[in-house]
Amino acid sequence: MGVLSNDEFFAKLGELLEGCKGKSRGSIFLTQKRLSYEQDIPEPTSENVLPDLHPPRPLPVLIRATNGKAGDKRKERVKLSTIVEPHAIPEFFTKYADVCKMGMAALKPRDRSKRKTKGKKKKTTLVLAS
Amino acid sequence: MPYYATSQEWIRQSQLLLEARPTTTRITTKYSLKVPQMRKPKTASSSKPALTPAAAESTAATSSSKPARGSLILKTYDPVSGVTLKYKTSKAAEVSRLIQSLGKLSRPMAGLPELKDEVMTDAPVPAEGGGSGAGTPAVEKSEAAAVGQKPQGAPAQAGGASGGKGKKKKGKK
Repeated sequence: MGVLSNDEFFAKLGELLEGCKGKSRGSIFLTQKRLSYEQDIPEPTSENVLPDLHPPRPLPVLIRATNGKAGDKRKERVKLSTIVEPHAIPEFFTKYADVCKMGMAALKPRDRSKRKTKGKKKKTTLVLAS
Repeated sequence: MPYYATSQEWIRQSQLLLEARPTTTRITTKYSLKVPQMRKPKTASSSKPALTPAAAESTAATSSSKPARGSLILKTYDPVSGVTLKYKTSKAAEVSRLIQSLGKLSRPMAGLPELKDEVMTDAPVPAEGGGSGAGTPAVEKSEAAAVGQKPQGAPAQAGGASGGKGKKKKGKK
């Protein structure tokens, strides 16, 4: 699939995360990196060995999302990508956080392991005392 | 590669890595679902091989009744230097804040200056360096520092663990 616009990406990512709900296993991978392809970054010279550290202008960020299906399940694989322009970063990530928060429902709502750890602690102290 | 104990530490180290290697470093957020493994009763483990399909069915039935637990793993990876920084959480309350921090980390990725004032003092350096070339070694040094700082995270974590032991001892008294 080609590169999506930011809004399309959010819609598709929402579907992708929604599809995970109720399932007993599965993963979603979200990746981000600098888009350096076809961006006219100057070639390194002896004076400027690492031109990418100070690009002449801010570069866009490439965001990818996939469910990581491979092998026999390759047909179920979903791959999404979008490009975020530098000026749109704050807005994009605010929306991104909302979409992720809505979609990642299987995470623990609250820490319920307090009692368990207490019990463990007692055990260890007993061992230390003996 | 060990996980960082706190998200703040992961963000700080990732920021340094991105500043040093903005083009090759990538951040992967993995959200995975997994049913917690049930401890098998002893009878199941000692059952004959002929019974295993039935046992597998029964475990599948019990596992389907349990809801899957999710986990979120954030990984900053630079394939060139091989640096990997990870942070893991299972708390829903952290998601929003962590994704927001991904936005903050996108700034060095995009080549934008950091929002803090500290970087503003650094800003004149590339301007000078462009003319004389003296700025570039300094940049390389900072990169080395960023990469070199990475192993320090592990001792810090170890220190945290030993601190926990001390607390336990206090509780005993």
